[in-house]
Amino acid sequence: MMYLPLANILHHKLRSFLAAMGIGIGICMLITLTGLARGSLNEVADRWESVNADLIVLPSGWGEQVSTKSGSGLSDGFAGVIARKFADQVESIVPVFLWRISLAGQDQMTAGIDAADWATLTGDRPLTAGRMCDPDGRASQWLAGKILSAPAEGEQILDLSAADLGHPDHNCLELVIDERLAKAGGYRVGQIVRAANHDWRIVGIAPEGVITRVFMPRRTAQFLFASGDVSRSTLMFVKLKPGAGDLGVIARRMRDQTKLDVLAVAEYRGMLTRSFGIMFVYVNMVNVVALIIAFLFIMVILYTMVLQRTRDIAILKANGASNGFLIRQVVAESILLTAMGVGLGIALSFLSAWIIQAYRPLLTVVIEPERIGWAVAAAGVGALASSLYPAWRATRVDMAAALSLE
Amino acid sequence: MIDADHILTARGLDKSFGRGPGRVDVLRGLDVTVRRGEFLAVMGPSGCGKSTLLHVLGLITPADGGELAVDGQAVGMGAAQRHALRRDVFGFVFQRFNLLGVLTAADNVAISLRARGLRADGRVDELFEAMGVADVARRKPSQMSMGQQQRVAVVRALAHRPKIVLADEPTGNLDSANSNALLDLFRRINRDHQQTIVMITHSAEAAAAADRVVHMKDGRILETSR
Ligand SMILES: Nc1ncnc2c1ncn2[C@@H]1O[C@H](COP(=O)(O)OP(=O)(O)OP(=O)(O)O)[C@@H](O)[C@H]1O
Ligand SMILES: [Mg+2]
Repeated sequence: MMYLPLANILHHKLRSFLAAMGIGIGICMLITLTGLARGSLNEVADRWESVNADLIVLPSGWGEQVSTKSGSGLSDGFAGVIARKFADQVESIVPVFLWRISLAGQDQMTAGIDAADWATLTGDRPLTAGRMCDPDGRASQWLAGKILSAPAEGEQILDLSAADLGHPDHNCLELVIDERLAKAGGYRVGQIVRAANHDWRIVGIAPEGVITRVFMPRRTAQFLFASGDVSRSTLMFVKLKPGAGDLGVIARRMRDQTKLDVLAVAEYRGMLTRSFGIMFVYVNMVNVVALIIAFLFIMVILYTMVLQRTRDIAILKANGASNGFLIRQVVAESILLTAMGVGLGIALSFLSAWIIQAYRPLLTVVIEPERIGWAVAAAGVGALASSLYPAWRATRVDMAAALSLE
Repeated sequence: MIDADHILTARGLDKSFGRGPGRVDVLRGLDVTVRRGEFLAVMGPSGCGKSTLLHVLGLITPADGGELAVDGQAVGMGAAQRHALRRDVFGFVFQRFNLLGVLTAADNVAISLRARGLRADGRVDELFEAMGVADVARRKPSQMSMGQQQRVAVVRALAHRPKIVLADEPTGNLDSANSNALLDLFRRINRDHQQTIVMITHSAEAAAAADRVVHMKDGRILETSR
């Protein structure tokens, strides 16, 4: 025989579809928003973890906030100190100057690096097009020379106009961007882009997955974004020699001897997630509200269905249906509608993930089976909770009144 | 008051609707007894309270006062007892509104069996045949005539072999051929299975099929003929 809740659902196809759609949109929001937050965060973390180094050295006290830091941090002189004191353990040290510049309508974390450090920083991944920015370091030398020979601090700023910086003989304004940003902004090698008040030439395209989406010569970044102070970077990556010993032990010793913060590259993901913890609180709140609205919607629909079907309920009751039987019908209908909604919601999630990534290539949406599991569990609880009151009302139907109404 | 011979005993039943000046006293100290295995017809003018009586006897609605015994049990207000008796003792054919609109005729019968924890057996097919509705078993009520719906309701009322069948004008929408088939079926189950039948009817012809006919007037059972 045809199951009554299913027959009811099929009998009111549009209403059932709308109810399921309400749930579906809630579920889709839950999966997509969480997937977007986690996806984008994990994408950044993955990129940092791809760095071919073991430790990150930062100014004292910056540790927990590493993911939010940029600009002038620690003196480049520490590179020499660490290299000397840990000569047996350290293979290479890569200073990086981080800064955010706006490209493709969005702030992009930009790494000012020395071209020679590319191999250490990325595991020597080749560019997919063009060349490195300031590949032979000529621009950096020219810039450093200019600044260091300036008679007094401050004067170098006046001395170096934008035209000078961009001069073809010592081109400091060069950028390498990653493939995703190139796609999002429609950028090509050779193109001039305006950012941070300067005209930059895109000279190379990096493969996806490298630490930042934008690279520039480190000296340029220091000069422009640290008021001409070319002696400081934001942080340093330290690559240890094979068999250098226990990472934790070395990090602790380095911390003790330099009074700087030293973290393992592998700790970055956790710190990033903690820094953006508030975002998850926000996302979860939005999700909870969306689900509550979706289930209030289901509850109203079930409730009106019960009110409309008092006669059917009275007939069932007169024909021996117990309260449990009536409750099961309403709860089952709720579960069926919710199941349809969950199916729709999951399908919608994949669709919206695709749409988001097609129109916002810089965003990453990951739809994890675990999140789907959570959504299904939340939906199951919601289906039960929203059907309880309508189900109880079904048991309270007055048979005689329902059967004698015209 | 409880008597082994009597499957239904009602004493001094009162039932009214509404309150204040708009109040209608429908049952006024009504007494009735139905013997085990009896086929009783109830007649009376429209609006005299026949359907109301049937609802009270069938535990669809409680009386305001009076006593009622069903199948050897004094009936109180307890929901569990009333539900159990409704489920196990009675089979209903209501005057209107018998079937669930979203289910086919066959499923309407099946769900009331399932609600009782029973399964459809060969008897259901026999009943569909006997009532001449086997060909509409797969249709929904909206695709059936009133008479067909009423006959499906009879199938449902009998499918679980209730001790008491309460039928409210079951021949109301039927032509004489179908009406005769229904009355034949009632007589047969009454004779062969000793199922008690209380049938409300406006038709003297239908009433003639019963063992006994009572009339209702002014909220009471007035007289007994035959
Ligand atoms: N739920 C109700 N609320 C108010 N009044 C009701 C209700 N049910 C029945 N009545 C009134 O009770 C009286 C008896 O109704 P009932 O349906 O029992 O009559 P009946 O004898 O079955 O009539 P008919 O032969 O037309 O079916 C009528 O006056 C009716 O208006
Ligand atoms: Mg009536």
